[in-house]
Amino acid sequence: MIPTFLGSTVLVFIILQMAPGGPIEQIMLQMQMGGGVGTEGGGGASSSMTNEGMSLPPEALKELERFYGFDKPIYQRYFVWLGVMPREIKHRDFTFPVNETIYETRVGKKDGKIWKVDIALLKDHELIVTEKDQNSRSLWHAKVDGVNEDGGLDGVIFQKEYSGILTGNLGKSYTYLRPVTEVMKPKFKISLFFGLTGIFLSYLVCIPLGIRKALNHGSAFDFGSSVAIFMAYSIPGWALGGILLVLFGGGSFWDFFPLGGFRSPVEIWEGMTLWGKFIDQIHHMILPVIAWSIGSFATMTILMKNSLLENLSQDYIRTAFAKGLKEKRVVWLHAMRNSVIPIASGIGHILGVVIAGSYFIERVFNIDGFGRLAYEAILSRDYPITLGFLVVVVLLRLIGNIISDLALAMVDPRIRFK
Amino acid sequence: MVEKNIVEEKHLSLLQKRWLKFKTLKRGYYALVTLTFLYCISFLLPILINNRALIVSYEDELYFPILKGYVPGQIFGQNVPGEAKYRELRKSFKQINKGNWVFMPPYPYSPFEDITTEGNKMYEPPSRKHWLGTDNTGRDVFARLCYAFNISISFALILTIINYLFGIFIGGSMGYFGGKFDLFFQRLIEVWASLPMLFVIIIISSIIKPAFFLLIGIYTLVNWIGMTYLIRAEFYREKAKDYVAAALSMGQTDLKVMFKHILPNSLVPIITYFPFSIVAGISALVGLDYLGFGLAPPTPSWGQMLDVGLQNMSKWWMVFSPIAAQFLTLLSIVFIGEGVREAFDPKEYSRLR
Repeated sequence: MIPTFLGSTVLVFIILQMAPGGPIEQIMLQMQMGGGVGTEGGGGASSSMTNEGMSLPPEALKELERFYGFDKPIYQRYFVWLGVMPREIKHRDFTFPVNETIYETRVGKKDGKIWKVDIALLKDHELIVTEKDQNSRSLWHAKVDGVNEDGGLDGVIFQKEYSGILTGNLGKSYTYLRPVTEVMKPKFKISLFFGLTGIFLSYLVCIPLGIRKALNHGSAFDFGSSVAIFMAYSIPGWALGGILLVLFGGGSFWDFFPLGGFRSPVEIWEGMTLWGKFIDQIHHMILPVIAWSIGSFATMTILMKNSLLENLSQDYIRTAFAKGLKEKRVVWLHAMRNSVIPIASGIGHILGVVIAGSYFIERVFNIDGFGRLAYEAILSRDYPITLGFLVVVVLLRLIGNIISDLALAMVDPRIRFK
Repeated sequence: MVEKNIVEEKHLSLLQKRWLKFKTLKRGYYALVTLTFLYCISFLLPILINNRALIVSYEDELYFPILKGYVPGQIFGQNVPGEAKYRELRKSFKQINKGNWVFMPPYPYSPFEDITTEGNKMYEPPSRKHWLGTDNTGRDVFARLCYAFNISISFALILTIINYLFGIFIGGSMGYFGGKFDLFFQRLIEVWASLPMLFVIIIISSIIKPAFFLLIGIYTLVNWIGMTYLIRAEFYREKAKDYVAAALSMGQTDLKVMFKHILPNSLVPIITYFPFSIVAGISALVGLDYLGFGLAPPTPSWGQMLDVGLQNMSKWWMVFSPIAAQFLTLLSIVFIGEGVREAFDPKEYSRLR
């Protein structure tokens, strides 16, 4: 499982890293359009970028590359992103004077005092940093960048920090300029809310419907619901959402439901009573949840029906009947227990699919959720968010698999974990 | 009764029997006939739905613009810049009544002509002129719908066939050779399968703007897994059977055993899976087009029409028509799939997937 996770992150990372139009190109483009761009941190790169309409000066470009870690080979970037290699932060350039072996420089402030370090030059262009007045010697590191035309050494001093997806740090979004986890959290909650409601509702409808269809196999009810199931299978949930919106969203027909959104705008929402909020939430949720659950409606009902039918035709059911047990007991206790096994094993899998596939419905209903965030991140080439989304989805799927296994072990007495 | 006896005497092959069984399943059979017919017809769309005239007779000379392509309007004495406007030409010929005539396609609107040509209007509701109205740039919805039908089905067909080739080759080798080869691909598939496929396609298409075949390539890249697994299981099962050992002991090569002996015996899941694979292909194309990561914009596509429609919610025809077209197409393919499944793999009840 862990190798699977690592493998998929490697794949995605490679695909994304090969993509053109990264953050640096975007900043350059924005500059050429005349708009100023402020990059947080990175050491004042933005202030020096004042020449308009031209490409970036090389120093600023280098600064940016360093900030985003693009000055490193791809495998190192991956390990940094993963958190097993240190990330270099707070870069500061300095120039070693010619023929000197020790150089003192300011690196900032600590506890109100100016923080200075000594950089010693060894042979072979190795640098050692000693911090003055401080005990923590290993905080700053330095390395040689190159030799300038005077014969002096250009160097850079930086801090190291182990932080990556393994430590829960998904990086900082290029567009929101905030940590990815922070951006994702509220949106993920919205999607999860919809997803869980949808799953719950579809189980609530599909299982009884499937049972009823199996017990009345071949009846008019079975036939009629089969037609509905075929139709539900042939229309994607988000397309159905579109139809529902046109019909009930107040376009050309009826005006029963709002056109979209998770709930009413904040200004109205804040002024509502608790009951009003409750009603408003449900009012906004009905159409999306229908669209959400229609996707699993067809397959799950048929799955339930078929597995029950299959079990009902088994020998042990005949034996149970032959023993003289009542039909209710045979169906609900003997056949049902075996029939819910395939349903139970799908329970964890659905979660990942629902969350990952939500970009369609969230786009149709204009819900500011998780899938929409990822979709917009791709549009704006916000790679930390895109990668973060993939990490979360892969994790969800793996967790879903575990949940499935647990559920399976719960309903199937033949499977036991040791 | 007599006829039935003859049929029985002929010793039908298994495939023929299955075909006969499929024919008795009316719903699937008629869906197949209709869909095949419509798909074949859809290749003739340029002469059925187009704004270029089929034949123009002007001053006792016959022109075939549909074959020739671009014909400037001046040739027919029409005072317009660029290409002749055939619908106006027909009107003016009728008014003047000098024996000149224009023979137009039955539905004289092209899927590409927008508001800039010949009095097209935006957002026209359905009428006798535009059967399903016009969209936000004045293009005829019905014409686009029909062209998109052809593109969608072609896309799904080619996609599925390529997927099958990959699946049969890789999955077959995995199941047949087993061992380390099998293990390696299993791990690879496990990694691939844990990714959200559609999202990966969107990422790749956002990087390279895909054309028709490139999109198929990208989709194959992430979609070969399902098929591979199916075939692998099938080959794995078949390999243990006696006839394979017999074939091998007679000195047949691995390749021959795989494709001449095992493959025909593992056709059932391959064929029954086919229609559902097409459904998935069409749905994916519509979805991608809707998100704007599918085929390039002027191409008629249901997803793009739906996208525009949902932005203009009050123009119901722009939303309903593409959804209805997609729905009916998918529904008939599901019917076919159900029929095929029942004919090939008879069980008492119907199954999706």
